[in-house]
Amino acid sequence: MQLRKLLAVAALISGAAVVHPASSQDLTLEFVVWNYSLETVQDNVKQFEAANPGIKVNVTDYAWPDYQDSLILRIRGNTPTDIVYGGQDWLPAWGAAGFIAPLDSVAPDGAVAELSGDIAGFALTDVTYDGKVYGLPYYSDTISFIYNKKILEDAGIAVPTTWEEVTAAAEQLKAGGMDRPIIYEYNQELPNFYDAFVAQAYGRGAELFDADLNPLFADPENGAFKQLEWIADAYAKELVQSDNHESTIITAMNTGNHAFTIVYTYVLAALNDAATQPLAGQFALAPMPGDTHATLGFAKSYVVTAAAAADPARAEAAWKFVDFMAGKPYAVAKRWAVEKGLGFGQLPLFEDQEVIEAWGKWADVNALGEQASIAKAGTYTEFSSVWSAYFRPLLAQAMVGDASVDQVMKDGAQRWTELKEQFANR
Amino acid sequence: MWTINRFPAIWLIPALLPVVLMTLYPVGYALWTSLHEVMILFPGEPFVGLENYRRVVASNYFQDALRNSLVFTALAAPSVVVIGTLIALFLQHGFFGSQVVRSVVLLPWVLPGAISAVLWVWVFHPSFGMLNGVLRSLGLIDAPIHWLTNPDTALTVVAIAHVWTQIPFAVVLMMAALSTINSETLEAASIDCPNPFKRFRYVIVPEIKSMIVVLLVYNALTAFTSYDLVYAMTGGGPGTATTLLSFQIWRESFSMYDFGAGSAVAFIVVVISAVLIVAITRALPSDLFASE
Repeated sequence: MQLRKLLAVAALISGAAVVHPASSQDLTLEFVVWNYSLETVQDNVKQFEAANPGIKVNVTDYAWPDYQDSLILRIRGNTPTDIVYGGQDWLPAWGAAGFIAPLDSVAPDGAVAELSGDIAGFALTDVTYDGKVYGLPYYSDTISFIYNKKILEDAGIAVPTTWEEVTAAAEQLKAGGMDRPIIYEYNQELPNFYDAFVAQAYGRGAELFDADLNPLFADPENGAFKQLEWIADAYAKELVQSDNHESTIITAMNTGNHAFTIVYTYVLAALNDAATQPLAGQFALAPMPGDTHATLGFAKSYVVTAAAAADPARAEAAWKFVDFMAGKPYAVAKRWAVEKGLGFGQLPLFEDQEVIEAWGKWADVNALGEQASIAKAGTYTEFSSVWSAYFRPLLAQAMVGDASVDQVMKDGAQRWTELKEQFANR
Repeated sequence: MWTINRFPAIWLIPALLPVVLMTLYPVGYALWTSLHEVMILFPGEPFVGLENYRRVVASNYFQDALRNSLVFTALAAPSVVVIGTLIALFLQHGFFGSQVVRSVVLLPWVLPGAISAVLWVWVFHPSFGMLNGVLRSLGLIDAPIHWLTNPDTALTVVAIAHVWTQIPFAVVLMMAALSTINSETLEAASIDCPNPFKRFRYVIVPEIKSMIVVLLVYNALTAFTSYDLVYAMTGGGPGTATTLLSFQIWRESFSMYDFGAGSAVAFIVVVISAVLIVAITRALPSDLFASE
């Protein structure tokens, strides 16, 4: 009798296993992001899970300022991690350290090459390390010079095309009673701080490094050197107000007390959001002042970890996830663009009517396209994020007059050279 | 015959084990790290001797951070003790609503550092900060003052925020110390000496001297190793104007990924902290650290 009961229970258990075979095959991917618009991230993940039965995705988020160090410690601590948000400035170091894997190692043959053909040049540069594509764009944007149209029109000031004209316009506005016409995102702990400086230097047509990765910016004739002098001068003339985050810059610009700022382009969408901002509609982007009007373009991407790539089942699932998020028909990239105003690296979306219509509400789409077409990628190496962390406080010192531009540029160039040698010797 | 009672040291193992695991091992590992080139993004961890110490001490960042930490500590620690003592003396007297006031005084204690930082950033914000608004409405300023991004004012502003967060603990300890003073002594003193300042100096201070030393040592260490407020309010800036040594440990380790240099700064902080404690206890002798 006992034996029969036992057999019956065993049969029930094995029957249940047959009825629910998926549970034994379920695979949970660990997806790590920074905490921008988590509700949209979670919703995208839900859609992926619905389209891919048997694959679950667990999302972990870290604050943007702490993202890279949290992620590095997570990977060094062997915490399971399959797909991560990657930044263009971090990618080479992660690749060199063996944290991440080229997408070709997880994707079907030819899939990455086919998608790469649709990616904008600077964005493709940003997701490539050592000749291999490591990520597909989550979003891709430029840094923009943004101004308040109404303030300039009321004051009879033409949109500045050079940094000298920006100074003249700001001085005119200050003389008219505007205390600090320029508001500047000044947070030396964020990579944005260095990116914004590079974008301005690019506007002057500057190159910060030569082809052999030797620093050029310590030369007083270099555009980056001149731009730092310009910022220091603008601070000394009390034309600039610092603010440590784009969110407070949006609020401050909407007080009408500032005419100019330099921020990620998607901030323009928030500035012109009629639902939340009192001065919505008054803000526009102008080409980055300078001789060439170039700016910095960059891409944040979906990257697969080396640990995931080493396990065939996880590698296959990870590729499905990356392809869903950033591959054709670019539905997720389009969603970010339409709903949040995020830029994209996938060129076909520039011709998508829904995107054009949505972006037309907050920006001149032609101006955006022109800016994207002349945007340049930054210079990123295995040690550039380490160097950037060293250099940013120096930049900040020079801006507020706490150190000379010459000393800061020399110090920055010396540290770059030290790190270059140090890395070459390891 | 072997019994456990003949080896009493064995009984210490349960207490010593956590100390070894939680304190000595991490400290030992940090010392090892400070003697190696441990750059988390680079392969290998070669032994470099005292090179990390030489490099961090020679860097401008370290020198600025050391100077800022000493100034910050000198501003904050005595301020907390003085203000905490004054508030405790005030709260000793019962008055209408004193219970409510006591609760309010303790409020900063329950707020996490990051929340306190956000509050103070909004107080000092140049565009919509409360302080500039008040100063403007009083006609004291025409243009907003950029408190947090001016290298001349940023450290003082962060020190003010830090003092605000530390006062409640000082008040609680000082009220406890004041409550131990014999009420008859205070009554006699009020008859013999009508001057309240002299009463405080010659009757109360001797009774609470040990607590003053405790608070000074505690607050010197808290200020010297302060991190969260600085990180959230200024990120160590502008430039290095508010970079403290504790922040520099973080920056070397987690921003520049040089754990060797970060550990070297940490060890230097430990040594300086020990010197601070000895200096304070020698400058203000009390019974607190007496051997008998």
